[in-house]
Amino acid sequence: MANNRWGYPDLGFGIGLRSVHFEHILKNNPVIDWFEVLSENYMDTGGRPLHILDQVAERYPVVLHGVSLSVGSTDPIDFDYLKKLKALGKRVNARWVSDHLCWTGVTGLNTHDLLPMPYTDQALRHTIERVRNIQDFLERPIALENASTYLEFSASKWPESEFIAALAEEANCGILLDVNNVYVSSFNHGFDPKKYIDNIPKDRVVQMHLAGHTNKGTHILDTHSDYVINTVWELYRYAHRRLGGVATLLEWDANIPGFDVVHGEALKARQFREQEDKQMPAPELEEIPAYGD
Amino acid sequence: MATETHPDLDRIQRWMQTLILDQGTCEEAIASERAQAEIPAGQARTVVLPSKTLSSFERLNIYREMYLLRMEEALSSDYPALKHFLGEEEFMRMVERYVEVYPSRSYTLNRLGDRLPEFLATLDDLPKKDFCHQLARLEYGLTCIFDAAETAPLKPEAVQAVPPDAWEHARLKPVEAFRLLEFDYPVSQYLGFVDEENPAPRLGRKKTWVVAYRNNYRVRRTDLTQPAYELLSALAADKTVGDAIIGVMIRKWRPAVKQNQLFEWFRDWMADGLFQAVEVRTA
Repeated sequence: MANNRWGYPDLGFGIGLRSVHFEHILKNNPVIDWFEVLSENYMDTGGRPLHILDQVAERYPVVLHGVSLSVGSTDPIDFDYLKKLKALGKRVNARWVSDHLCWTGVTGLNTHDLLPMPYTDQALRHTIERVRNIQDFLERPIALENASTYLEFSASKWPESEFIAALAEEANCGILLDVNNVYVSSFNHGFDPKKYIDNIPKDRVVQMHLAGHTNKGTHILDTHSDYVINTVWELYRYAHRRLGGVATLLEWDANIPGFDVVHGEALKARQFREQEDKQMPAPELEEIPAYGD
Repeated sequence: MATETHPDLDRIQRWMQTLILDQGTCEEAIASERAQAEIPAGQARTVVLPSKTLSSFERLNIYREMYLLRMEEALSSDYPALKHFLGEEEFMRMVERYVEVYPSRSYTLNRLGDRLPEFLATLDDLPKKDFCHQLARLEYGLTCIFDAAETAPLKPEAVQAVPPDAWEHARLKPVEAFRLLEFDYPVSQYLGFVDEENPAPRLGRKKTWVVAYRNNYRVRRTDLTQPAYELLSALAADKTVGDAIIGVMIRKWRPAVKQNQLFEWFRDWMADGLFQAVEVRTA
């Protein structure tokens, strides 16, 4: 059942489609609820990745997730990019399309990073306008993810969670709540991650992300290179209590283990959700060593 | 409302990007003319808040450091043999210089390395510059083959349908994922050593010819003799099979090209799926 205003379904528990798992997926047809696909990896190629994506999209629900929409940039909107994104969405019957609340570059350049926004009134107005234009072109609402950030601007007037909530309301877009990113940013900036989640409007959330990260002591980097830590699982459980059943995806992008390990990590989310729905104590998780140790 | 003392969104973004792309220290970047055109150096510390554990500059440095690592990762994925040849440190130095001249202007990192071969040709202090340039040309060619549009190879029935006496005037159209490359060094051989994780010897100058193509979505490359390369080049340039063969046969090769050799080449190229269509034009 969908809790969001567009009726986007709770697809269950998916993982990011990564090339190291291509052979396994095609050969074994694993039972998995859905895949999330990095849009840019398939927009400019006519080769094997697209060929495999076509086959995956025939067998599983697919969601497109981008990193170059640059929704907060002051550069003009790249309609060539949007045209390709729209075509890809149509080709794979994408259930929805998402990207990040960030900017990736200006003056025609791309740093290929999810750079933080100053949360000002000007930035809010600017981003609302762009999201509306993007959605008009794509002819569908998009979902924007809270990115992990490593700095804050003194110009910011809004807490990030209130900014993203206001943006979603005014631009009429969805939210992809990355629970790990909430935790990472809360560590880096010293805010309460539960209050952050409390500020997120339930009917805007179409998807949640989970991932591992790298704690450098002074700050945390969102590396997607490890298992999800217990504190993030607890936060996920809290988010589920607040937001209800939302399609959940496990991201693993560096030191990627075998398909079954990644999928197994995604399925832990089901355990947490079921326990929460039954009002039972959270499952006890073993302390897992960093992957590769 | 943000107060008047805070810079606008566009100024903040241009400033931050300038700092990320600048390869000096954070302090040098902040003091640079380009950064100061957006925000005066004296104001820089007040733009970014410090955290409990990191200063403003240390927080900016997280983004600055990740930028180069990301660029290196993208280029080493497209140019693994070049990285192998140069070694990690020299490759990273080259990456720093390259992205300074050719920063990414695309929504995809897959295009970042498009101008690397021509850039290498300009680096006079690069070890074995000519070899590196040619190795990069080969790796770039293979990347293009990887991403090229898929076209179905010619089916045996289509070949058999051409009457024997029509072949002289027939034209063979290569598949989209097809590229002919000529080198002054055996760079394909070097790439083979790297692919197989064998120690690669230093290779001296030697003319070599390669056809790169895709078969069943796999990128492949085959070393060619010069006459085979020239025959394929003529066919790719839309010459008729007859003209292409005559062009090769009238030249003196050592060893000489024999008729059965021609048959073998065509048989292998058809089996490898190098052509997508055969066209017989009537006069």
